[in-house]
Amino acid sequence: MIEAPARAYQYGFLDEYAKKEIRRQTLKAVAIPGYQVPYASREMPLARGFGTGGLQITLSLLGPGDTFKVIDQGADDSVNAVNLRKFIVEACPDVSLTTRAEDATIIQTRHRVPEVGMSPGQILVLQVPYPDPLVVVEPNEAKRKQMHGEGDYARLLVKLYEDLVNFGEITISHRYPTRIHGHYVIDPSPIPRHDVPRLHMADALFLFGAGREKRIYAVPPFTRAEPLAFEDVPFRVEHFFDDTGARRPCARCGSRESFLDEFLDSYGRKQFGCSDSDYCARRQESRR
Amino acid sequence: MKPILDVRNLRKTFGDGCEQCGRLTGAAAATNRCPACGTIVAVRGASFTLRHGEILGVMGESGSGKSSLVRMLYFDEAPVSGSAVFDDKGTPVEMFALNAAQQRRLRNTRFGMVYQNAHMGLNFGISAGGNIAERLLLNEQAHYEKIRERARYLLERTGIAAARMDESPHRFSGGMQQRVQIARALATDPPLLLLDEVTTGLDVSVQARILDLILELQEALGLSMVVVTHDMGVIRQLATRTLVMKNGEVVEQGLTDQILEDPQHAYTQQLVSAAL
Ligand SMILES: Nc1ncnc2c1ncn2[C@@H]1O[C@H](COP(=O)(O)OP(=O)(O)OP(=O)(O)O)[C@@H](O)[C@H]1O
Ligand SMILES: [Mg+2]
Ligand SMILES: [Zn+2]
Ligand SMILES: [Zn+2]
Repeated sequence: MIEAPARAYQYGFLDEYAKKEIRRQTLKAVAIPGYQVPYASREMPLARGFGTGGLQITLSLLGPGDTFKVIDQGADDSVNAVNLRKFIVEACPDVSLTTRAEDATIIQTRHRVPEVGMSPGQILVLQVPYPDPLVVVEPNEAKRKQMHGEGDYARLLVKLYEDLVNFGEITISHRYPTRIHGHYVIDPSPIPRHDVPRLHMADALFLFGAGREKRIYAVPPFTRAEPLAFEDVPFRVEHFFDDTGARRPCARCGSRESFLDEFLDSYGRKQFGCSDSDYCARRQESRR
Repeated sequence: MKPILDVRNLRKTFGDGCEQCGRLTGAAAATNRCPACGTIVAVRGASFTLRHGEILGVMGESGSGKSSLVRMLYFDEAPVSGSAVFDDKGTPVEMFALNAAQQRRLRNTRFGMVYQNAHMGLNFGISAGGNIAERLLLNEQAHYEKIRERARYLLERTGIAAARMDESPHRFSGGMQQRVQIARALATDPPLLLLDEVTTGLDVSVQARILDLILELQEALGLSMVVVTHDMGVIRQLATRTLVMKNGEVVEQGLTDQILEDPQHAYTQQLVSAAL
């Protein structure tokens, strides 16, 4: 997926002009929370759909003194994450790498916000496959733009209404449409509902990059991020209850707060464990 | 009292137009297509008023510009020129001077539209109740149970068992689909309804019951309506006043009784005698 890096990468792979252009669009995105800013997405040495949008933001920001972490499906050691890390080592030789979320200045992620949360000064760069939450209800892009401009999201709420009618609950598990600063609704990328409240009035900056769709958007610190819901049917996160109605713990570290994934243990039994592997490993260590 | 709608010289064309369009189209020219430049003059300067609580009939043959007229009033199409002043609870609103968001607000809260083709007026991908919910959600109503309650009420009001509210309009008959459209149009208690061929294509008995419903709603809710039809029977039964269109031109308008008894324009005379 990633070619062997040529000897002489430009620092940060992209030329200075490209990085400046991406930073400028990123600043615009920060200035208009939730607004999808178009930008000139560059060719990257990995296939679109593998996080080129996030990577371009990351490369435009990384510099000497930064500490970087990659999360893919909650893990630091998946193939994608490893490849991305290798690429950063080549492209930005003086950047230190870490798996500890709290030590990173910039974290690029797919699917998760770190379980430990984000602190002031940190930046989380999220990889976005589909930036426009309205695409499910309106195929015409010009009309979608107008709907965003007017803050017209009634048809997304109709979808929630239909969900409640058909299933008795809102079934959206990932990419939950979320209203930023009381106006623009964003697709928060494929993070689970569990992570959505972490965008709300957060300490850190969240940047969203869609390479294929050529869009950047942002949730700045201390900005409202409100999942769409009804007054009498509030948004809720995954509950992970077992049959008795008790909150399942992580089978590995015992956490009852984390987002859980299913896995099969060595006896082939279904178990639940933290999706954030770094969080889980460190909890296991401290329990030893 | 001011009329609820005061329309002046409303004009709609498809094409670039030329100097001769005016002379070469219209009822006298017997075409709405300019032979010089090919432009369609769909509505060439329509003027009329609609009084509060009144039903105005718009009739004319196919292609005469009836739908184009109401589509402009519902902001589906922008006019080339002309004005329409809507009396919004005592405040005169120049409809075509509004920005897109203001037009959307008017459309969602003050107007209701029933389209000839139910597929234009309803989303068949969602339930009947969802179609009504959409209009309430557009109107900042965000309480699920209250939305359900209102949809239930509106469906019952228009003659559909509330038990069927979660079904897709696909599963409804043509007459029921028109009722759902009416229920949806009524969702935000708009003072003005635009009905485009609401009974066309329905069985006579189904037609009669929908016309009864419209009259009953008008009486009970004091609604003002523009009713577009090419059916003289609908005009006779519903409209206090009537406007007759031909080739994009309003050729005659007045009290329905007078028009039916003593039509002035040759085209109206022809229509009336044909319907007898
Ligand atoms: N989008 C369009 N592009 C070009 N011409 C159009 C368009 N829409 C309507 N027209 C033309 O404008 C004229 C008026 O059409 P309109 O639909 O208003 O007629 P109508 O009176 O409603 O007819 P009907 O009784 O068949 O519904 C017709 O000649 C039609 O072909
Ligand atoms: Mg028509
Ligand atoms: Zn764990
Ligand atoms: Zn012409």
